Amino acid sequence: MNSTKERRQPVHRKLRFTNEDLWGYIFIAAAMIIFCVFTLYPVISAVYTSFFNYKPFGSEYVGLKNYVDTLKYSKFNLFYKAAFNTLVYTAVVVPLSLLLSFSIAVMILPFKKKTQSVFKAMYYLPGIASGVALSVVWLWLYDSSPEGIFNRLLGVFGISPQNWLSSTKTSMLSLIIMALLSSHGVRIITYIAALLGIDNSYFEAAELDGATFFQKVRYIVWPLVKPTTLFLLITGVIGSFQVFMNAYMMTGGGPDNSTTMIGLLIYNNAFVYGKYGLACAQAILLAIAIAIMSLFQFRVMGVDVEY
Amino acid sequence: MKKLLALMLACLMIVGLFAGSAMAESEKEDTIVIMAPPVTGNYLENLKTWAADFHELHPNLTVEIIETSWGDHNDKLSTMAQAGEAPDIAEISSNALGTYVEMGVAIDIAKYMDADRLADYDANALKYLSLEGTTYGLPLYLTIQSIGANKTMMTELGIDVAKIQQEGWTYEEFLETIKTGTKDGCYGFIFANSGVTASDMLYIFGAGVGLSNTFTDDLKYTFTSENMLTLLSAVEEMTQSGYMPNFGVEAGQRMVMCQTGNAMIFGKAMPLFEANFKKNNAALEANDGTAVENSLPMDYAFLPVPTMMGCAEACYGTVDGLIAMRNKGTTDEHLENVLLFMDYICSGDRIAACMNDLYLDPVCQSGRDALVLPEGRDADNLATAARCIAMVQAPPEGVTAEMTATAKKLMDEQIVPKFQLLLAGETTAQEVYDHICEAAYASFGAENCVSGKLG
Amino acid sequence: MATTGLYSQHLHNPKVKHLRNAVIAIVLTVLAAATLFPICYMILSAFGPNVSTAGNMRTLIPSRFTLESFVAFFNFSDYSLRWIFNSFVVAAGAVIGNVIFASMAGYAFAKIRFKGHTVLFGLILVAMMIPYQVTQVPLYILMVQKFSMSNTYAAMILPGLCTAYNIFLCKQFFSGLPTPLIESAKIEGCNQFQIFTKIILPLSKTVLAVMAINTFMSSWNDFFWPFLITKDPAMYTIQVGLKQFKFANETLFAPMMAGATISALPMFVMFFALQKYFMEGVTIGAVKG
Repeated sequence: MNSTKERRQPVHRKLRFTNEDLWGYIFIAAAMIIFCVFTLYPVISAVYTSFFNYKPFGSEYVGLKNYVDTLKYSKFNLFYKAAFNTLVYTAVVVPLSLLLSFSIAVMILPFKKKTQSVFKAMYYLPGIASGVALSVVWLWLYDSSPEGIFNRLLGVFGISPQNWLSSTKTSMLSLIIMALLSSHGVRIITYIAALLGIDNSYFEAAELDGATFFQKVRYIVWPLVKPTTLFLLITGVIGSFQVFMNAYMMTGGGPDNSTTMIGLLIYNNAFVYGKYGLACAQAILLAIAIAIMSLFQFRVMGVDVEY
Repeated sequence: MKKLLALMLACLMIVGLFAGSAMAESEKEDTIVIMAPPVTGNYLENLKTWAADFHELHPNLTVEIIETSWGDHNDKLSTMAQAGEAPDIAEISSNALGTYVEMGVAIDIAKYMDADRLADYDANALKYLSLEGTTYGLPLYLTIQSIGANKTMMTELGIDVAKIQQEGWTYEEFLETIKTGTKDGCYGFIFANSGVTASDMLYIFGAGVGLSNTFTDDLKYTFTSENMLTLLSAVEEMTQSGYMPNFGVEAGQRMVMCQTGNAMIFGKAMPLFEANFKKNNAALEANDGTAVENSLPMDYAFLPVPTMMGCAEACYGTVDGLIAMRNKGTTDEHLENVLLFMDYICSGDRIAACMNDLYLDPVCQSGRDALVLPEGRDADNLATAARCIAMVQAPPEGVTAEMTATAKKLMDEQIVPKFQLLLAGETTAQEVYDHICEAAYASFGAENCVSGKLG
Repeated sequence: MATTGLYSQHLHNPKVKHLRNAVIAIVLTVLAAATLFPICYMILSAFGPNVSTAGNMRTLIPSRFTLESFVAFFNFSDYSLRWIFNSFVVAAGAVIGNVIFASMAGYAFAKIRFKGHTVLFGLILVAMMIPYQVTQVPLYILMVQKFSMSNTYAAMILPGLCTAYNIFLCKQFFSGLPTPLIESAKIEGCNQFQIFTKIILPLSKTVLAVMAINTFMSSWNDFFWPFLITKDPAMYTIQVGLKQFKFANETLFAPMMAGATISALPMFVMFFALQKYFMEGVTIGAVKG
């Protein structure tokens, strides 16, 4: 991106490789081979399939039909509703979980090493439990009867029992709470790694200027962990746009499709209805949406990151 | 001279016999791949034994078993089928058949097996695995789904359980009964209806109001009929009555709530649950901590579903079966071998053993002949289950794969979601009904949907 | 020690400092309790009696403590231990592959200005955006028909040998390292390979440890691909094995939780083994000069 300055010599305009180029290719060679075979090939194959009424023995070329079918507006086309749900979910979960992880990571720092490792382990632990086991527990937490754990908790504050996963008022909220309270171990650990990389001299200098704690967080820590934030933001958005497992396990998309996500639609088309070509088209539309979002994030966040 | 002739004849016969067996041995080696989930706890173990027995009967045929897990079987099967690598035989639920037929991987089995073997299976059960007159698989079992109850409690309240089991009941009688059963801390009726399980309630109670099938015999869509509105209004009435919870109940909790005395009648229920209740009673007696917490000893009654609008009594059922599938290496000769094995495990002793695990009746004559009931089964429940199986109405002939696919999508994406809304008390029966009609007219055309009362 | 400067405010006043730390500790503990709840439930159920289906879900503490659920887990299949071993092989393979290949690629994308690096990196990111549901079929065809690798460790490891996620993570980390450091090494006559092994890697223990842990964890928890590609129970990973405890009308709940608890142990060990690397942090400033 910004490196063109060094290389803008007319000699190199033709395809001639510098020493630097060759080293670059050597370094990425293994990764690119693995990537091309096991990721790129399936992706290209999915793009190709999206133009077919796919059948294992004898697919039929249908042009853009799968895309048209997906986007054709009708009261009964779930794609738009699912897109809206996915957007809402992403817009709430991603920023909040980043903020939460960042705050927890910062809060762990003032302690002695022993205490730090205890806290880190506590936040890391939920990530190692198998998803199968956890979904059973979450269903139990969201038990809508007055004896349900969350309902009893609400009772303490004098709030009447909620019909958590079975009411359109609370179903999306339930999935959001679940996303926020589980699986942020990875993000916290990544943030801690970034925080520990900040050199003390920055703080010493700020100290001399009489900076408060929050000023230090705002003007030193936040800008310096920006590459990490960008990474977590983009992977978070990708993950959240593709979210499937939670909706599948907890609500199946209901009630009244209030938790139907794009990921769930793609899954149903691919695995339940046998419409693999249509699923591919929807996946590609989803990828385009994510790519646009990511590009936007790079533009906003990425400018001062690369140096 | 006569002796010599006899000797020669005997020699000839022996030679012939050898030649015959030599010919049998020269049959080509073949491997049959079957993929199945644990239909019952012992099913996969049994399958291994049967595969070994089968190999002894037909030494040239080897069976390879791919074991899957219950919740994920269909995902794996679907992926393999799309890749053109489907197993030769796979377990499926009858409502997934259309998908595989559309995909072009399901095989017309009648071509590859003896007609008299196919005749062993009940026509009613085979219909579930057929589309437009073509049969794609053999049934393992016809499972009936209805409601079950704490028999002990009902008897204490003076309700004539045996009469309900023998003669059925109307919705009004049902409502009266659950009213009697409702008291502090105990609901007269609960139904596991949260998430996708909401569809169970539609199907099971639908059977009592003439909605056993999505299509009529002249292939019109039934869910737009007046019967549907009656059903929805009944559900609305139940959820608002206070005799049934007005919140979502998880599938795992329905039986537990009954066992702990928090509910009298529960659904969905199968005859098999008798085993769970007996096991729990035994655990309570042994006091070894494996019983359901706070549960009470009680007997289980399998009940028929109540009828509405004066409809004939019926029961909802589906078939799980094995279908033959096409993959890259499929040949006619191979398919004959595949069907030989499929027939072997769907009939006789094999299926009888499987049915005893599931508390169901076999759906083939050889299975019924081989069935030996274990001691201690509740006679009333047995009789009720048999009565209910007989009341199951198989889907009409002539339904196309496309029609089932459209109906399935309509059910999953439009009907069940609105029905969930009704269960949550956030809409009315009339609104749900109007939405169903509108969506169905858009999918099938109004002329292909029933209007007014069914039948 | 790096970053402690962030909390230098109250160092001179131990009373305030302790109060502040106590408040933070309480907040952290409450949040942790919420996140830990599910796993506590899992572990406690594992030590409870061998119940099927989640029958006694309303109480957290089992009616009595026993190891019978663990016994039931090991007796369930001849391969119960083998499943854990298989998971370990697959996860270890993925960790080694990613630590080597993703770090090299990440370094190249961050610090080597080769032609086409933006395009190639963009391609890697875009590929990440296609959901797995639609790439499983071509991947399955590739593995089974082209490579005939069904039911092997290779088939389970290869697709995750170098993930886009980890390349991205490394690139982000390496781009934070000071470029002058590399330039000066170049002037001293080091080639890129020497720079990478002698200068970059020693500075990157943190990110490598984070990557190793995350990769191990996601590989260990991966279910669908191993489920798809294995045929024989002897080749199952633990996640695939755990799903076998679920039947049509019954779940062997306590043994399943016992299995989940056992399967969490290696990851816990892994975490403590590696965590010293990201306790130390990196003091790049010293060399930055």
